[in-house]
Amino acid sequence: MIEVESLSRRYGSRWAVREVSFRVASGEIVGFLGPNGAGKTTTLRMLTGYLAPSSGAIRIDGIDALQDPIRARERLGYMPEGVPLYREMRVYEYLRHRAALKGVAAASDAVDRSLERAGVTDARRRIIGQLSKGYRQRVGLAEALIADPPILILDEPTSGLDPNQVRQFRELVRGFRHDKTVLLSTHILSEVEAVCDRAIIIHAGRKVADLESNDAETSLEEVFAKLTTSTSTEPVR
Amino acid sequence: MKSTWVIMRRELASFFVSPLAYVVLTSWLMWNGVVFWVLTEFYARNAVASGAATPLSAFFGGSSLFFIPLLVFVPVLTMRLLAAEKQSGTIETLMTAPVSEASVVLGKYGAAILMWCVLWAPTFIYAWIMSQHGSVDWGATAASYFGIFSLGAYFMAVGLLMSALAPNQIIAAVLSFVALGVLFTLGIGEFVFDGAMRELCAYISMWGHMQSFSKGVVDTRYLVFDASVTVLAVGLSIGALKARRHV
Repeated sequence: MIEVESLSRRYGSRWAVREVSFRVASGEIVGFLGPNGAGKTTTLRMLTGYLAPSSGAIRIDGIDALQDPIRARERLGYMPEGVPLYREMRVYEYLRHRAALKGVAAASDAVDRSLERAGVTDARRRIIGQLSKGYRQRVGLAEALIADPPILILDEPTSGLDPNQVRQFRELVRGFRHDKTVLLSTHILSEVEAVCDRAIIIHAGRKVADLESNDAETSLEEVFAKLTTSTSTEPVR
Repeated sequence: MKSTWVIMRRELASFFVSPLAYVVLTSWLMWNGVVFWVLTEFYARNAVASGAATPLSAFFGGSSLFFIPLLVFVPVLTMRLLAAEKQSGTIETLMTAPVSEASVVLGKYGAAILMWCVLWAPTFIYAWIMSQHGSVDWGATAASYFGIFSLGAYFMAVGLLMSALAPNQIIAAVLSFVALGVLFTLGIGEFVFDGAMRELCAYISMWGHMQSFSKGVVDTRYLVFDASVTVLAVGLSIGALKARRHV
């Protein structure tokens, strides 16, 4: 479970995220939507402890992530935007390293399992720097899964994947329903409709909507366009 | 503690699979081979003038030829430590793993110390060569290596701090070069100033440090200085990594 209360973050004098509150229940898959520059990545970075909020509170499975960051991070699998990886390492070496860093017992089994789940078993001996973007993306996903965390935070997980890989990825995420809590950011609306139970929309650093994505009455696309192009939202500065 | 070890192991592995490691080690040995040869020639031709100094004591810090390569090689060894993580973005996966800033910094620092030892280990052959052609003061040689280790502990800590502060490797290398260059030059102030300033310069003098150790004199004042700078620089690196979350 992820609980966020009045989260704000400032870069110098500019507010990137302002008073954002939301809750992702255990076993729920939630899409975090917004146009580019809306504050999605900043919010996810605060949840994972990479950035400290300017104000607000974050609880990960009830653990105060600001008071007890290491215990909170133990419960998270995180795939950052752009999927930074150590390019000189082989895929399995990297995963073994990350498993050791996360204190996973029986690291070899964990590596095999996460390779399998992310669909990169065939690339296990390859050097990461020589992999295509789609493969690197999946190595990043395997890394997020390595410690079998209850919560997954994925920042634009399907960018750079080909249509087949996107479909495989969505199936994988759908398989997590009821089993893991997933918060994934994207600006692809069909992705949210395909895999998410709910969508949180942010625009200019503020939360503007929180809706059931399978609501037949409203088209997500319409709502998104209306909310994120309106001028009524307070300016970021 | 375990994560410190995991980080250190990865740092060393990635260093020794990179071409940089072999370029650094090869050029280091070539440079020092030439230095050793020139010093030996000098003492062979000027036996009377040399007094108590030996080619080995000159090699281990008794001449400026010891320090010039270090000012270049230390920054190259330490520039990667944290700056490479920032440059490639892997700092984001590293700092969102359940590890503390202290274990990250200590792991990186441990790797740097090991690289320093790898740099110096082959120079032992020079002592062996000398022992085949004359007598070697093994006590002084041991003290020299001890002094080099202590000096290296502080050099590596300064390089680590610069790598923690710089956004990329080039800037980290330039900052370390400048920091060590300034410390080296201040040490020479021992021969320039009088009074308290002279005392201060003598205290931080790398030259005085290695001249004392290479003659077999283990001076605790230098050890205290090295340890203080090391602790301060490692502590500041941890602080810099913590502060990053708020920027």
